[in-house]
Amino acid sequence: MSALSNVWVRLRQLVAPPAGNDAEGLLDAEMRYHVDCETKDRIARGMSPAEARRTALRDFGGVDRYKEEVRDLSAARWIDEMADDTRFTLRVLRRNPGYTAAAAITFALGIGLTTAVFSVVYGVVLRPLPYADPERLVAVWETHRARGRDANVVSVPNFESWRAANRSFDDLAAIVPAPATLGGEMPERVQGAEVTARFFAVLGARPVLGRGFSDADATEGRSNIVLLSDGLWRRRFGGSDSIVGRTISLDGRPFTVIGVMPRDFVPPKIGWLSDQDLWLPFVPNEQNRGWGRFLVVIGRLKDDASIATAQRDMASVAERIVSDEGRNTGWSARVVSLAGEMTGEVRRPLLIMLGAVGLLLLLAITNVGSLTVDHIRRRHPELALRRALGASAGRVVRQVMTHCLVLGVIGAVIGIGTAVIGTAALVAMLPPEMPRGGAVRVDGTVLATSVSVALFAILMLGVIAARRGIVGERDGTLAIREAAGRTTGRAGAGGLVIGEVAIGVVLASIAGLMVQSFINLRDVNLGFDPSGVITARIQLPAESYESPASQRAFFDRLGRQVGALPGVEAVSFATTRPFACCAPATSVTLQPLKSDSATADVRYVDSAFFAALRVPSRAGRIFASAESPDGDVNAVVDETLARKLTAGRLSIGNRVTIGLSGGIDATVIGIVGDVHQADVRSVPRGAVYLSAARFPSTVRDIIVRGRGRPEDLVPGMRRELESLDPAVALAQVTTLHDAVGASIARDRFTATILGLFAMVAIILAMVGIYGVFAADVSARRKEIGLRMALGASPGAILGLLVARGATLAVAGAVIGVIAGVLLSRSMSALVFGLQTSDPGSFASVAALLVGVAMAATLVPAIRAAKVDPMEALRSGA
Amino acid sequence: MPGDSLDVLHGTLDLLVLKALAVGPLHGWAISKRIRELSREVLEVNQGSLYPALYRLENRGWITGEEALSNEGRRLRIYRSTAAGRKQLAREIQVWKAYAGAMQHVIAAG
Repeated sequence: MSALSNVWVRLRQLVAPPAGNDAEGLLDAEMRYHVDCETKDRIARGMSPAEARRTALRDFGGVDRYKEEVRDLSAARWIDEMADDTRFTLRVLRRNPGYTAAAAITFALGIGLTTAVFSVVYGVVLRPLPYADPERLVAVWETHRARGRDANVVSVPNFESWRAANRSFDDLAAIVPAPATLGGEMPERVQGAEVTARFFAVLGARPVLGRGFSDADATEGRSNIVLLSDGLWRRRFGGSDSIVGRTISLDGRPFTVIGVMPRDFVPPKIGWLSDQDLWLPFVPNEQNRGWGRFLVVIGRLKDDASIATAQRDMASVAERIVSDEGRNTGWSARVVSLAGEMTGEVRRPLLIMLGAVGLLLLLAITNVGSLTVDHIRRRHPELALRRALGASAGRVVRQVMTHCLVLGVIGAVIGIGTAVIGTAALVAMLPPEMPRGGAVRVDGTVLATSVSVALFAILMLGVIAARRGIVGERDGTLAIREAAGRTTGRAGAGGLVIGEVAIGVVLASIAGLMVQSFINLRDVNLGFDPSGVITARIQLPAESYESPASQRAFFDRLGRQVGALPGVEAVSFATTRPFACCAPATSVTLQPLKSDSATADVRYVDSAFFAALRVPSRAGRIFASAESPDGDVNAVVDETLARKLTAGRLSIGNRVTIGLSGGIDATVIGIVGDVHQADVRSVPRGAVYLSAARFPSTVRDIIVRGRGRPEDLVPGMRRELESLDPAVALAQVTTLHDAVGASIARDRFTATILGLFAMVAIILAMVGIYGVFAADVSARRKEIGLRMALGASPGAILGLLVARGATLAVAGAVIGVIAGVLLSRSMSALVFGLQTSDPGSFASVAALLVGVAMAATLVPAIRAAKVDPMEALRSGA
Repeated sequence: MPGDSLDVLHGTLDLLVLKALAVGPLHGWAISKRIRELSREVLEVNQGSLYPALYRLENRGWITGEEALSNEGRRLRIYRSTAAGRKQLAREIQVWKAYAGAMQHVIAAG
């Protein structure tokens, strides 16, 4: 009752400060009136006015002092008390450095890790795309249900039909990667892209310098114009404004720079698009209409369209293409949000990471909470004394809350420091192909979130601790007596242990799944041997190597020269090494035209390819080193294609039609082992190899197997290349080992981070459980002493405590396994080569955590068993 | 010892204030004057402790204070006791009687 009205009075004073000031004024007036009345009274009793006034004032005392005492009860006192409590808390924390360090560091760890992971998740997944009205941007893919393609690139005729017939989009635009060699003193391979005229308009991006592409460029046939990225402009052209109008050389041809994109323009990296240094106009023509599917299409939805309505619209547009134009059978279209497309694959692992770090934060708060509860418990006599001396229950609660607040602020400050460092570390660890990695930073939003997380943590902590801090409305001395021998709160402690074990099990089992999945990925037989192989891409300038003969001659000579380098075992040239981006795939049909048809990757390779990559031959032969440039086309197929085409009965000498360039007829001369062409996860879908000599090109990947470290071969390769033609650059130099590693970098990242979290979680759980039991044992010293005095053996005491620890740990493990199984269901798309509900891994994780909990119990239990009963009974109270 | 006034004994101020207000609402100075009169000029309320006591009693809900103007138009607060205050007064009186009785026995002994 009194506490309530106290609060009410104060609330009134807080919400109405003028009234508060007025109250002060009233108090003033009241006291002055008192003195005046007293003065008059004394005059009436015969004093002189001056004397009366003087003595009245003297007897009253300093007016201000009493005002102070009265004010004590009002809002202003709260602030004073707060400052007092803060000073007091700091003193207490200084006097208990062990507790302070443990609590602050645990707190900081929780807040820091949470913020760091959140900054990555926010930057990659949640931050709006850096385009105008990004939520209206979509990607549109072709789909083919029978072939299992749900995000296929788009053919030029389809793009044109879509653009003309749809009713859902302000506009559609297309982009296709177009790497080029930028000429100059230092020729350099740059990532370019060809875009349709309205591409930047669809994204809502404008050049910062010069102009963008216009429809007039296309209609007037201006194709030798180029837009530069800010990065390339600064790096290669010194950021000079005079760049607009200048001519630069790309693949040996002159292009006029018409503009520069702004620094913050981020090209959408979806499909097979990578970073982009420059943009060239893409103009549909008769030639590229026959190239098959290769465009990435984006669109901006009309204001009244949604993804769902656009999807229906596009499906009917696709149907009309099939029915009206009589082509494209089996293909339809799919509309997806651009944001989802840019982050689709990483969204789930990142959200799982965020969930995991949230659990970690919970664990950290629980630990700090149990540390603080124990600390408060040890302060119980002191708090009880305060109550006995007249501190209100509210005052004591406020003091405990202040304690948590101060601790929280210290933890948050260290935590934000940790977050900044942690974010930098995470960004450094990010897989190279992580979309929007550049958008990761600790900014206002992230900091605001982390501060709210910290506040939430402090609040939780305060609630836990304050519940323990209240000695209650009981008589103070009773509380003092009781506090010293207090053994209550054991149910709460048990809950903490169960919670810690459960969270530990969840984190460790999720991490276990990801780690096991990563190991499975690493152990996949790729069908080739990536170790000891270095590869690079070579693009010959088209104008100086126009004839197929000159291209062939160049690569032949380069092959001979590099092959002669010391330490080189084999040199091969091929279109697209394994684990490179974007090689053609098409249908392969067995002749005479049966229904046997399968989709296969197409690779152009030379005679040394299979030896250089150690791909085993299964039947027939591979290409000869002097494969004829004319005449009949020979093909080598892999086992999967052979099996798919004729249920394994394909034999050497069979004829196949390869659906490229209007159909290539080829004779199968050999069968080789399956090779993972593009990634580790997907099962090879079949591949057909054609002779690189038969299909010359200006672009080749050089594949070199060496005896030593493959990186050591690079300077020699560069030297030989330069000796042949200084205008040709060695691009995308990488060991195959790294290329394979990069393709599973995301899995490695997820596994590493979650593994790290699991380790931190186990340590936190161990420390927390140890803390709970150590506190329990010291709180129950008397009880244990009593039991021993009454005849319990040390062994029985040990058994009692260990059994209690085991019971709690097993309960926690059961809860953890159930939660883990439920959670891991959402991870089935992420794990490779195992079931998410893998009973073995859950059982081992549960056993591990129970073991950890038991170990953490053991030390306090042994200490309990060593309690000297007499001493324990004498001590205390 | 007339003429010599006594300071109010610690712990009895609440009783005195509640008793003074039992007759009717009063302002601060009037309360101290009433206590002086009721005690036949023996008890002198230390004015410095009067106002904190008034605030304390108000916070406990035993008295209420209301702003008012004096005859000369000066701002002051008029205090009146509440139902809870009257109950408390009865309790205090009981405690005091028990205490005073006990004191009497102690002094009378031997």
